[in-house]
Amino acid sequence: MADRDTGVEKIEIGDGAAIPVPEDRGLLSAWWIALCGTIGLLIVLPLVKPDPYADILRFVPDGILVTFEVTIASISLALVVGLITGLGRISSNRFFNLLASLYVEVVRGIPLLVQLFYIYFALGRFVRVPDIVAAVIAMAFCYGAYMGEVFRAGIKSIDFGQTEASLSLGFNHRQTMMYGILPQAWRTILPPVGNEFIALLKDTSLVSILAVSDILRRGREYASESFNYFETYTMIALIYLLITLVLSRLISTMEHRLSHYERR
Amino acid sequence: MFKSAAATVIALLVMYGAAWAETTIVFATDATWPPMEFVNARKQIVGYSIDYMKAAGREAGFRPVFKNTAWDGIFAGLASGKYDAICSSVSITEKRKKAMDFSEPYYTVRQALIVGRTSHARSLADLKGKKVGGQIGTTGYFAIKAAEGVIPKSYDEIGLAMEDLNVGRIDAVVCDDPVAANYALLKYKDTLKIASVIKTGQVEQYGIAVRKGNTGVLDLVNRGIRAVKAKGIDQELKKKWIGQ
Repeated sequence: MADRDTGVEKIEIGDGAAIPVPEDRGLLSAWWIALCGTIGLLIVLPLVKPDPYADILRFVPDGILVTFEVTIASISLALVVGLITGLGRISSNRFFNLLASLYVEVVRGIPLLVQLFYIYFALGRFVRVPDIVAAVIAMAFCYGAYMGEVFRAGIKSIDFGQTEASLSLGFNHRQTMMYGILPQAWRTILPPVGNEFIALLKDTSLVSILAVSDILRRGREYASESFNYFETYTMIALIYLLITLVLSRLISTMEHRLSHYERR
Repeated sequence: MFKSAAATVIALLVMYGAAWAETTIVFATDATWPPMEFVNARKQIVGYSIDYMKAAGREAGFRPVFKNTAWDGIFAGLASGKYDAICSSVSITEKRKKAMDFSEPYYTVRQALIVGRTSHARSLADLKGKKVGGQIGTTGYFAIKAAEGVIPKSYDEIGLAMEDLNVGRIDAVVCDDPVAANYALLKYKDTLKIASVIKTGQVEQYGIAVRKGNTGVLDLVNRGIRAVKAKGIDQELKKKWIGQ
């Protein structure tokens, strides 16, 4: 008691070094080093040794486009599937709840690679869809389940008091979800969705086994003809790294903007 | 239980002891290329090329060991020394000769065009604007890429391309003629057919690929291939696996 009156120095307890703050210099510089290194190598290597490196850069660009197409189409579809699944998982309707839970259980238990093969080759006997569409369906089917869990966690993170308040104000269940819970949950949901987006972009490299001409496929085609395996995969890795570095920065900026309540 | 285990160990030691007496050559093979090299129902790697190398080994005194390796990257593995040679229906081309050494040719091959049973296409020229599949990094795929106006599509395995042709995602497949015959005349005989043999203007032959400058292995393999040809064993193998 006496301490308070005599004005002993206040002890500050922070997060410590284990949880770096986004503004942290160390974090910034790691990202900058990676970005500058990647861009530097992507420019210097083709200049110094144009024979394989510049050729590779000329060979793969249409693959980058395909990778983006597959990623954006898959994530859009996965978001819709995820939202429905997430709502199904918290639904009081037993049928929808069971259906959504079953979907999540089944999809999470099967490796993405197997799912890709399954949807492309096994279902190809019955439904004829173009290769890219099959790849998108497979990716969205898999990531929809992951997204469903993200949505469920986000919705659950909103205090039940909000629902009670909303209901007591005369909103029905649908309105409560639409105008009360989801707008708030979105802030919790966005960062993991961003991570899933980047993870999905990287996982699209798997669709190269389905003969979809993405970055990796184009690289493999180049390597199989020129036998420059080391050079090709170096460039492929750098291109993926550049894309994910830029995207991760975009997502962390977006995250930062949305965190009104945690701003110091 | 213990006794049988011990017996197995001793048996293995004796077997390996005998094998050590002669040189072992490790061949990489992409066993997805029936009837040249493939995995049979008993999970053994079998086929024309495999039997050919076994016969060559008996003649020249080496023990071939086959390692099932994915085609994409098979040449990279040879360069990095994961195996001594590639016995996987590798056509001898000028480009490949720059990266590796080849044995004497052991089989002459042509590129066949496979289409759906109802298709009227007779050559790659008839398939302008259509999708044609082949296995990545094969001479068949290079032929598709060289053809004007055709959309090339590369697959990891030829079987996947055949399946896509079977369900109608692509319009044709190009691959080596014995493999084409195996798929079009046996496996998918109700849905696919061989449209024609593609004229590339040059003779294409299979050879055993070895690392550049690895003359020890190359000489042994060449001696074996020569003996197999001299004794006419290759004709028997052709009858057995290809039926001609």
